Amino acid sequence: MAEPNAAPKRKRAKFTPAMRHDALLAYVLLVPTLYILFRIFIVPIFQSSVWSLYKYNLMDGSDPKPVGFGNYVDIFKLQDFWTSMGNTVYFTVFSVAAELAIGFFAALLLNHAFKGRLLFRGMIMIPWAMLTLVSGLLWNWIYQPGYGALTVVLHNLHLLPDTSNPLWLSSSTKVVTFSAIADIWKMTPFMTLLLLAGLQSIPHSLYEAAVIDGAGFWKKLRHITVPQLLPTAIVAVILRIIGAYRVYDILTVFTGDAKTSTSYLTYNYAFRYFYLGKASAMAWVSTLLILILVIVYMVLLRRNQDSHL
Amino acid sequence: MPNKHSWPKWAAPVLLSAALLSACGVTPSAKSDASQPASSASAGGAQAEMDWSKLGDGSQKGKKITVLMVDTDGRVAEMAKKFTEETGIEVNFMGVDYNSLFGKITTASLSSSSDIDIIEMDTIWGGQFYEGKIAADLTNVMPKETLANYTQSSVDSVIYNGHVLAIPYYSSSKHLYWNKKLLADAGYDAPPKTWDEFRDMSKKLTKNGVYGSAWSWKQAESLNIDFDTIVAAFGGQLLDEQGKLHVNSKEAVQALTYMTDLLHIDKTVDPSSLQWTEDDVKNAFSAGKIAMMINWEGMYPDLNNAEMSQVVGQTDVGLIPGQGDIMSTAVSGSEGIGIMQSSKNKQAALEFVKWIGEKGFQLDNFKEMGIYPSLKSLYEDPDMIAADSTETLGKIVEQFQYGSNRPNAPGYVEWADIQSNEIYNALVKNKTPQQALDDAADKIDQAIQRAAK
Repeated sequence: MAEPNAAPKRKRAKFTPAMRHDALLAYVLLVPTLYILFRIFIVPIFQSSVWSLYKYNLMDGSDPKPVGFGNYVDIFKLQDFWTSMGNTVYFTVFSVAAELAIGFFAALLLNHAFKGRLLFRGMIMIPWAMLTLVSGLLWNWIYQPGYGALTVVLHNLHLLPDTSNPLWLSSSTKVVTFSAIADIWKMTPFMTLLLLAGLQSIPHSLYEAAVIDGAGFWKKLRHITVPQLLPTAIVAVILRIIGAYRVYDILTVFTGDAKTSTSYLTYNYAFRYFYLGKASAMAWVSTLLILILVIVYMVLLRRNQDSHL
Repeated sequence: MPNKHSWPKWAAPVLLSAALLSACGVTPSAKSDASQPASSASAGGAQAEMDWSKLGDGSQKGKKITVLMVDTDGRVAEMAKKFTEETGIEVNFMGVDYNSLFGKITTASLSSSSDIDIIEMDTIWGGQFYEGKIAADLTNVMPKETLANYTQSSVDSVIYNGHVLAIPYYSSSKHLYWNKKLLADAGYDAPPKTWDEFRDMSKKLTKNGVYGSAWSWKQAESLNIDFDTIVAAFGGQLLDEQGKLHVNSKEAVQALTYMTDLLHIDKTVDPSSLQWTEDDVKNAFSAGKIAMMINWEGMYPDLNNAEMSQVVGQTDVGLIPGQGDIMSTAVSGSEGIGIMQSSKNKQAALEFVKWIGEKGFQLDNFKEMGIYPSLKSLYEDPDMIAADSTETLGKIVEQFQYGSNRPNAPGYVEWADIQSNEIYNALVKNKTPQQALDDAADKIDQAIQRAAK
């Protein structure tokens, strides 16, 4: 007699010996890749977390010794660390805000049909495709006093007196500001593309209904475009914040002052001074901050997906 | 009914990763660990593997050594083929650019690799290479009289705290270059001999878009080098007896005040100097708007190349000014060639080290690369004189007599970054020279204390 409450048995997939053999072979073939990924990603991440708890100075002949959270305490007491953090936040806020504003209007422009739109869409990608270091060298030339392009253009436009020859990169604040301008030039296309994709997903019927109600350009922008684009914009901004926070290479072209960004300071501690324990602690502080942003990003992404369901 | 003992899906990969990580040994290992072959060889052990008196006996024939040197276009590697022809020792040559060199050497040491036998050592790395147990100690390997054959600046660059870590590779220091035409126009037929003269002449030379001088005063090591040069001329010592950088001496403040005065009171320095390194200064000097500059060797033949320069035949090179009883000073940029302490072919590597210091290579290096020899005797050698197409050999070598080395203690790289940052603060008038150098001294003290924790 059959049991009345018996749940139907889950049907188990039947593996033939040939299928098992194939699966085993697949796993064996995966092992080298998994091993390499494990060694070059997982191990260094874990290793740096352990190193951050050690006094580990490579170049002074001393042996490593565990110091608990001493390295974290030291870097939190380090004025240079907070200066670099302040500069990084300034760089990030300035560059991402400008990229969002310019990117938004560029996306609006590119969303309209006009002659040569395809060419323009292609051209806008060039700065983004360029290596950051190459872009840094290019801007270093632009910012040269005297013969640099910026000074020459400003002289020719009579915006700068002929007798004036400003030093664009003569202080940390100026270096960070002008690096941010170079970053805006390079990364705005990325923002434009993401926002353009967002714009194209807004249904035309919304605009048509608004036109019938008598809405003009600004009203459509305020009541339809901006609210509809907001989820995409939030995601784009967070991705850019994560990218901008790690700024390093362009600054190395402009200055030897590592206090201009946290990543630059971390690099110097690791690969110029060889304080591997302290550098690991700095890297972990940055990682945790970025991790928080990633979590925010994922939450917003999920909300965004839910709102589309 | 669900199985109470079922494991979450992620448990297996996490446990597996944890097991693998624990097997990987992620904790830093002591330099003295027996498990670290790269660092385990004691100085005595390293010396026992090398015997200078047996060099050239043919016993190393057929061995293979790996050489890591600066060589961006393969010309040094080409010259090294002669070594193989002469000794029968094969060379695996790894040519890198200068900026990659330090990282490659230290990474090899960090990973306990014995892949590299020979390394190029800059003058400021001695302390790190000795204390970090990277370079083999050659103090008792190389006969005492050997170093007497080399120029003082190149010898100083291979010694840390009395330990010889390399053979002198080449000689280098900064020099004074001047535009003869611009000086003549201002009524001068000779360059300045003292910094006071330099200042007076600069005032007369600065007119009609011409600046008395241009400098590599971007916040970088080049700024430290120029500062150190002037401090030494004013009679200052940047290193105290304990080997510590002493940056706020009376003479150091005097030197920095001199620099800021040139820039802001006299206004005889091209203000762009604050954004320039040596190459930028060379370019500005080539354009004919700069009367004097302090720069490395190797400015010729470019300055006399009409395609690259507007001052062809108008320039000369000579001694950097001194002050008072001091005739001249210069900061050395000489380098050496050493042996990795982790090398398993030390005797073969020693053959290479000796070969680098001999006439054959040193002369080839001058002819091919324009690099000035470390071997003293070459400066009077007819072959060398014949190879000196710019006829600047005598003037260049004279400056080497006044060369002094920057500190090469293990913490120097960090101290130097602090020093250049604070000097720059004074140059852009964020701080007074005294305040900037006092702050630099405090920060260097703090860095030393932090490093010791």
